[in-house]
Amino acid sequence: MIKKIRFEYILTAAYLLVGGLWIIFSDYLLNVVISNPETITRMQTYKGWFYVAVTGLFFFILLRKHLHKLRETETELQQHRDNLHEMVVEKTRKLDKIVEELSLKNSTIKQQNEDLKHVLENLNSMQSQLIQAEKMASIGVLTAGIAHEINNPLNYILGGLTGLENYFKEENIQLENTDFFLKSIRTGIERVNAIVSGLNKMSRNNTTLEENCDLNEIIGNCLMILSNELKYRIHVEEQYAEPPIIIQGNVGKLHQVFINILMNASQAIPKEGQIRIRTFNTGTAAVTEITDTGSGIDEVDLSKITEPFFTTKDPGKGTGLGLSITYNIIKEHKGEMHFSSLPGKGTTVTVELPIKITHYEKAQNFVR
Amino acid sequence: MKKPRILYVDDEPLNLLLLKANLSKQYEVLTAPDGIAGLEVLKNNRDIKVVFSDMKMPHMSGIEFIRQATALAPENHYYIVTGFDINAEIQKALDEGLIRKYFSKPFNPDEIANEIRHSLQIS
Repeated sequence: MIKKIRFEYILTAAYLLVGGLWIIFSDYLLNVVISNPETITRMQTYKGWFYVAVTGLFFFILLRKHLHKLRETETELQQHRDNLHEMVVEKTRKLDKIVEELSLKNSTIKQQNEDLKHVLENLNSMQSQLIQAEKMASIGVLTAGIAHEINNPLNYILGGLTGLENYFKEENIQLENTDFFLKSIRTGIERVNAIVSGLNKMSRNNTTLEENCDLNEIIGNCLMILSNELKYRIHVEEQYAEPPIIIQGNVGKLHQVFINILMNASQAIPKEGQIRIRTFNTGTAAVTEITDTGSGIDEVDLSKITEPFFTTKDPGKGTGLGLSITYNIIKEHKGEMHFSSLPGKGTTVTVELPIKITHYEKAQNFVR
Repeated sequence: MKKPRILYVDDEPLNLLLLKANLSKQYEVLTAPDGIAGLEVLKNNRDIKVVFSDMKMPHMSGIEFIRQATALAPENHYYIVTGFDINAEIQKALDEGLIRKYFSKPFNPDEIANEIRHSLQIS
């Protein structure tokens, strides 16, 4: 391969050649044209100046052109270098951003996953809540139907009994012989009637908060409905306010409140124990204290027990909704519920209900 | 003196017979198995001042019957006797003054007799 000869070699060779040729030919030409040696010497000096001037000009132009190109290239190179740096920085920044976005997306997906898990849990609980609500609604309809069907024959019995009693009285038939039988029938009717009307009140399906609610009667009803659960196992001590406290509220919903609290108290007692119920009137509020000798509630759980779906019962045994529903009903009645508990000793639930809701609301409206 | 007449409307025949028998000393209880028949009885017996009606009956409810009966005889005293718990319809009738009171089944015939006596005194 032939190496490309470098520019500076060519230039030096050309300079030597042109210089040499100039000296040889110009001297020869001068000697031909001029014969006077003095003139020749002077001309030779001029010729030297002329050569220096021409070659100087030539080199100036050549160098300028060449250096100009070099400088341009250098500037371009610098620019490229700068650009390249900027591009790298830019690209790095973009990459950082993408990484950031990706990690954000990742955590969002994680969060969404978490949320979905939560939603799924909620849905599961909601489903059991719906099933429970549906069951309660069906029980309400069923109870009302059964109550109606029982009340009519009960009416025959009571009507017949009243007729018999009046007949015996009028005809003066030995009352001491029949009295016991008649009284037994009456007691039976009263007991059945109490159960049916208690069930009816509990499943009463209206939403008003303006019914007159006899707190003592409601709690008594709840105990009657739960009697099978409590009988022989739990001693119930009742201490009711006298005269009975009548508050404004919803009879059916208040039944639900006390059934839930009493049911919890009963379930907290593993074998045998005691439930103490006390109601009293503070003048503005009806207070009910229900104390059990059950297993109690751990301090860490105490703040969570009214949260929906919170339960310490085994799966399938409790929905975690009882106290949450209870709490909501009490809030609806503008009341309050407090718990105090000693693990292993028992729990006291205190329910405070204002005697008249309307007064409170009227005052609120007035303020507004 | 002629016994005052009252009307009792109920779709259960035994309820009708029992009230009739239990009150027979003081009152003459006319009966009807549904609202339509009840309205007929009221039209033909203008001396009836006190009316008791069951709630759930064929053709029309007790409240429905009392609404039409009130149009016919506005001065009368009306009562509902029901085997169901109190409901919104009964509460509304009480609030409007359409009925004076409601009785739950099983009812004590003596209580009904007392209410009739009281009702006839003030009317």
